[in-house]
Amino acid sequence: PCLVRTVYINSLNHLLTDPPWTSQRRHFSALIPKKEHGKKRVWEQSQLLDVLEARIQQLQSDIVLDVQHAKVQFVKAPKSGRGASSGKSHKKISGERTEVGKTISKGGGQTGKGGGKDASASKSRWMEKLIQEKKTKTKKLNLKLGIEDKPVKTHTMVEKLERKLNQWAMSASPVLVQDNSEARMHEGVQLGVHCYLEACVFCGDIDRAQRLLLTHHRMISRRNLLNIGLYNVMMRVWAKKGSLNQIGRMFILVEEAGLKPNLTSYCAALECMGRTPNCSPKVINRVLRQMKEDGLCVEELFRLCVFRQDERDMVLRAIQTVEPDFQPSINTVLHTCSSPLVKDFYTERADAKYPKLAFSLEELRERFSRQLSMEQASTITIHSVEAMKPVTPHMAKMRDLLAKQRIVWHKALVGALRESNMILASITPKAVRLSLYPYLCLMDQKDYVDIMIQSLSNLPPSGESLHMLAKELGNRVHNKFCIRMKSHNQMVDKLSHIYNEYAELLAKDSKEFDVLPRERWWKLEAEHSSGPSLLGDKTQWPHTVVVELGTYLVDLMVKHMKVNSDILNPAYERKLIPVLYHMYTFRSNKQVGFIKPHPILTQMQQDAMETTLTFDSYVMPMLCPPVPWTSAKFGAYLLTPTMLMRTVVGANQHEILLEKCQDADLHAVLDSLNQLGNVAWRINQPLLDIIISIFNDKGSEKLDVPPPNSEAPKIPRYNQQDSATYSLAEKAHLKREMVKNKKKCSEMHSLRMDALYKVSIANHMRDEVFWFPHNMDFRGRTYPCPPYFNHLGSDVTRAILVFAEGKPLGPGGLKWLKIHLVNLTGLKKRSSLAGRLEYANTIMDDILDSADNPLNGKKWWQNADEPWQALACCMEIANAVRSLDPTHFISHFPVHQDGSCNGLQHYAALGRDVIGATSVNLIPSEVPQDVYSGVAQQVEEFRARDSEKGLKIAQVLEGFISRKVVKQTVMTVVYGVTRYGGRLQIEKRLKEVDDFPKEYVWDASHYLVQQVFSSLKEMFTGTREIQDWLTESARLIAKSGNTVEWVTPLGLPIIQPYHRTRTQMLKGTIQDLSLQITHDSKQKPDTVKQKNAFPPNFIHSLDSTHMMLTALYCYSAGLTFVSVHDCFWTHALTVDTMNKVCREQFVALHSQPILQELSNFLLQKYCSGLS
Amino acid sequence: YGKCSACKARPTLKQPASPCSPRVLLQRRTFSLDSLSSGPGRPQPQQARTDRASPSSAPTHRNLSAVAVSVQDQSRPLGRYDFLDLGEVEENTQRAQLCRTIRRFIIDPALAKLVTHHLGPDLEDSKAAIFECNPGPGVLTRTLLNAGAQRVVTLEGDKSFLPDLQALECLLDGQLEVVHCDFFKLDPMGRGSMRPPAMYSDKLFTDLGISEANWTDEVPVKVVGMFPQRIERSQLWKLLYVLFDRLSIYRYGRVELNLFISEKEYLKLMAKPGDMLNYRAFGALWQMACHIELLHKEPWASFVTSSKNKLAIPKSRLPNDNLCLVRMTPRKDLFSSSLTPSNAATLVMMVKQCLAKRKARLVDRLNMWSPDSGPKLLKEMGMQEDVLTGHVYPMEYKQLFELVDKSQEFTQSWLYEEVLENTQKEGWI
Repeated sequence: PCLVRTVYINSLNHLLTDPPWTSQRRHFSALIPKKEHGKKRVWEQSQLLDVLEARIQQLQSDIVLDVQHAKVQFVKAPKSGRGASSGKSHKKISGERTEVGKTISKGGGQTGKGGGKDASASKSRWMEKLIQEKKTKTKKLNLKLGIEDKPVKTHTMVEKLERKLNQWAMSASPVLVQDNSEARMHEGVQLGVHCYLEACVFCGDIDRAQRLLLTHHRMISRRNLLNIGLYNVMMRVWAKKGSLNQIGRMFILVEEAGLKPNLTSYCAALECMGRTPNCSPKVINRVLRQMKEDGLCVEELFRLCVFRQDERDMVLRAIQTVEPDFQPSINTVLHTCSSPLVKDFYTERADAKYPKLAFSLEELRERFSRQLSMEQASTITIHSVEAMKPVTPHMAKMRDLLAKQRIVWHKALVGALRESNMILASITPKAVRLSLYPYLCLMDQKDYVDIMIQSLSNLPPSGESLHMLAKELGNRVHNKFCIRMKSHNQMVDKLSHIYNEYAELLAKDSKEFDVLPRERWWKLEAEHSSGPSLLGDKTQWPHTVVVELGTYLVDLMVKHMKVNSDILNPAYERKLIPVLYHMYTFRSNKQVGFIKPHPILTQMQQDAMETTLTFDSYVMPMLCPPVPWTSAKFGAYLLTPTMLMRTVVGANQHEILLEKCQDADLHAVLDSLNQLGNVAWRINQPLLDIIISIFNDKGSEKLDVPPPNSEAPKIPRYNQQDSATYSLAEKAHLKREMVKNKKKCSEMHSLRMDALYKVSIANHMRDEVFWFPHNMDFRGRTYPCPPYFNHLGSDVTRAILVFAEGKPLGPGGLKWLKIHLVNLTGLKKRSSLAGRLEYANTIMDDILDSADNPLNGKKWWQNADEPWQALACCMEIANAVRSLDPTHFISHFPVHQDGSCNGLQHYAALGRDVIGATSVNLIPSEVPQDVYSGVAQQVEEFRARDSEKGLKIAQVLEGFISRKVVKQTVMTVVYGVTRYGGRLQIEKRLKEVDDFPKEYVWDASHYLVQQVFSSLKEMFTGTREIQDWLTESARLIAKSGNTVEWVTPLGLPIIQPYHRTRTQMLKGTIQDLSLQITHDSKQKPDTVKQKNAFPPNFIHSLDSTHMMLTALYCYSAGLTFVSVHDCFWTHALTVDTMNKVCREQFVALHSQPILQELSNFLLQKYCSGLS
Repeated sequence: YGKCSACKARPTLKQPASPCSPRVLLQRRTFSLDSLSSGPGRPQPQQARTDRASPSSAPTHRNLSAVAVSVQDQSRPLGRYDFLDLGEVEENTQRAQLCRTIRRFIIDPALAKLVTHHLGPDLEDSKAAIFECNPGPGVLTRTLLNAGAQRVVTLEGDKSFLPDLQALECLLDGQLEVVHCDFFKLDPMGRGSMRPPAMYSDKLFTDLGISEANWTDEVPVKVVGMFPQRIERSQLWKLLYVLFDRLSIYRYGRVELNLFISEKEYLKLMAKPGDMLNYRAFGALWQMACHIELLHKEPWASFVTSSKNKLAIPKSRLPNDNLCLVRMTPRKDLFSSSLTPSNAATLVMMVKQCLAKRKARLVDRLNMWSPDSGPKLLKEMGMQEDVLTGHVYPMEYKQLFELVDKSQEFTQSWLYEEVLENTQKEGWI
């Protein structure tokens, strides 16, 4: 569906023709000198390109690169006047001379500046190596060109460049070039010890904690690794106990370690004094005095420290002993986001109509308490949709057996865990080795065992890698621990209190607010500052601890879960056999530890067809509106820890970056996430029922409802006895069949389970209204947090979801529903909106038939691109047209508006690429343009030309080049697909074409991908240049040892987490695990990934910015708005308004000097040491 | 295809050359024999295993046969050929260095002679065809022919070397066949295009007129060449899989490999039980399947590499100073009534599972597959109860498997199921 024509046309038209850029002028006045006659000039494509090119050159000459270096050599040759250089090199010279000349003069101009640093001292080994390599390269080139005696002039130029390169190399990354391993060890040890201490403290084993800290403290080599935070952990413990002596000792230790007490240390000291009855004011005064000496003030204490339980009150009591009138001030000044893009949004609130939810305050509060108790339980068990099937006696028997076995296993595991804990406790750990013991005492043994048993039912029949399983178990323990920690810290009451007040903002029966959810929450929190902080100081456990803990639990499971071998077949001899096996699978010569269920277990599970599913609570949508994100650390679920930015486990660079942000910088991003999270949803029940009926029958691959395993192909058994009758080739064939079928079976199983989860969750929520809290990936693309069931999912899940809130269709609503339906079918891609509407009207019979007899009628809907959404839409249309007055029909149905190749749209706008912009509908046109058809057409032209020239493959391809063949490649080219990947995509498409001769597939795909690339190059010139510039910049940044960072126009900082792989070995009883860590910021960046990923990531960061802007402005217009990346959803009534907002924001975004600012940022960040 | 017209006319599928014709040539080539025995040559490798054939026997043998032929010679017209010139070392080196793929080459005539010598001693009489992998400029090819090899098939993957080889092919009378094929791309796993140099082995063998043979028959083909360095390991694994399954080249009998592999890989291949670091499934299975013989060690430097891409010698904890010419002859008695190509995959799986952790107790592994069966099996094998998997000899694994396979208890074991999931050789025939 490409409606973007209408969405973007007018605005871009405006953008390209409207001369006085007055509305946007103020935003970039700093960058474009006003005195220029620019006011009168029409903003043309070329102008930006000029700026861009200049920047590119500036950037390139600043970051002197080896490419240039090589070029320099070519220039020299003719200057030296020697005839020795070959004709080949002459050609190169003439082609490149002009450009090289330019860069050299620029580069040369900058040499000399920034000198004076001692070169040898900070130059690292690898830098030296790099330079050495360059030198040899130069030498080689010289040799090739036959240059023996260099003329003085060029010689000095080369030297200058060389010197500059050296300077640049030194100054570029002074930190990174230091020894990485040491820094990493520091961080690793600190985190490890911190979590260990916290765990010990949580389970009340203070002795163990104290002992560990002291052993570390006593060993000088270890002591140097500690930081103040670790001492603070113990201070807080002693503060709780009111032991002033111990606090005093800790302060001495801190001093011994050469550390400085920080706010938290003083906070603990004061807390302790607050707890001590009749604590002498002299002592308290001394502490306060010392604090002042250390440059810390009491106000900061209350503003920055995280309090648990009654800590805050105790600190206050202590201070009030000496200063009876003291009251911490409440900071109520709101800062606003500085981005010019959202200035209006925050300042002009008079017209804003923030939407309310259709619930009373009472209802919302009741929903909150239900959500709270669900999260407190940390897991939830629901009935799967298969529960609707009748229970056969065999099933009943198996369920009974399984239930009995579970009790046996549970008991065995609890016993085993208790025993192993006792052994662990008795072992006096080696001095600095951190045992797992405290992590195994955080909860009752039975809680751990519950987690283990739960993981058993999720284990696929083909098994799971030990690493994955361990990670899952470890994370579950951590999750449960975090939730316990929160209630332990007594923050639940406070949370309830604040939430109940916050609900007024959203409820329909309370007063209107002119503030945003985040602002309201923030204010409420400031007002209720007493008691524990809501912000938990949760520390993510080190990944190694999570995996080690998980492995430990898996080991227990493998060793202690047994079953009688004759349980299913009494004919077998009775033996107690393990239920799980640890074994290895071999993947391309790598051995991977695997945990596999015994066939008996699989059989039992399959036969029992158990109908309950147990999920972690965060898997379910929320029953109340999520807690608004107020900072990078707080928001979304009530208790379950959630990251604002989802990252690879263990990658902390994003978190650090977000923490560094000014508060106000993130506001726009947080507010848009809150807006997306506040949209209420409910289930489209009639549709869900149809889906369940098919799901519980035989499924349907055509309709994307995965069939059950009973429909899977049978695996041919092959008998030892028969083997003589088969020839070798037949055996090989049989084997291949077996492998294929086995693979198909396990694929079907995982698809089926995935669908089962989704449909079952939907079924569980069928009468509910619910919410999806949102977070984002590191490029700012937003996602709903619940993993299985959400609106980002497949056609099936999307079709099940409708807005909880209904709005009348209004005058244009029905029209939009019809157009939406046509879009979902994938037909009429080249028709105008009017054409699509007309088409919809001609097929009204089919539509109504589909709605009335979805499974027994003409089944028109089943041939749509997105059949289930189409069916849902048919039903909505049917209901609307049959209502008394369609304009008053209350519709809950989300209508989608898609971008047409959104990445290319952004590129075209960035590059002011007129032809490109036309083909992706940024420019008005009679009928919608289709870039894919455009490319296909262009490719066909190339093909015809080649065919005439007698190229065999071009002739073979005659009549096979279609939109479909090239679509995926065109779409992904913007996201950095390489020729290699592109060829695979095309190969796949060609294989789907039945009558295409298979023997030509490889050649044809190879040929086609080349043609697609060259036609794109022809159509999107600016795009290519921008892409090249981005890639080259990223390459240089990465080469210099930095990671690529940038900031979106909304102020979201972004960093690419691609580094060289580091392998970490984890010792385990069951097997050693080697973890491949690719995100370690202490490692050198992975140049190839940094470079290849930058253009697509940058474009994603832009499209996410555009989405966020649209979300915000839709919010102030009172719209319901959700997004699936570049596809925006709203009510039929408000489609026009949303489109308008979408266009305006697209224009506003691209009116910003985006590339200019990126360039400035990169220059400042990576090149500031140069000039 | 730049073949000469004579070649084009000749069918690709052909009968082995008549028994007489090669002998005719032999006499003309006595020069080469002389040069082998009297030429400067290289010092005979002393580090090689002592059990190989004495080098001096080969020339004598050749001289004898030359004499024998000379009688017949009188009744036949002389052939067109003469002793094949190996070409200038300099020139050959340059040509090798122009090769666009990353490869090592045998250019040194003395080295070629040495390899030829190891393929002997009965090159003239041996019925086995010699497959020479990636000959490049063809120094070894010519040396083999000069030494009287009856049937040399060069499998060259790089097009640029083909014309010269084909020219040579035309010059000769059937002793040399040139195929555009990369031996290491036979029966690829992927589903890419099956164009030369990738090829299905059945096409190759059928075209050459070599038919499937019994396992116990004499060696039908001797492969000589060098493993491409980067895929050495995976190639060895692939060959191992097809060997146990009797697929691919092993459908045609016990193909003998005479290949240069890196020293470290050789040491791993030959690691003995008890060497807990290096004794792995890889070596155990090769030792089980083949009679492995180290023929010669040659420093890396003796080989010429294509110049643009300098091949770094892989680092290793094991010594890795040489390339080793290793002969791997599949054992005649590998397959038996209990071990057949159809259940051999389970054996491979079993050994891989056992040796994934060499310090695990064998009895635990066995118990996993079938509870309580471990002690019984070990007793039958006459092994200690606490024997570690890393201490069990390859042949003992084979015996163990044969016992396991007979035992009823194992029929319920997941071990049999497992075999399927671990196969990655869908594409192999």
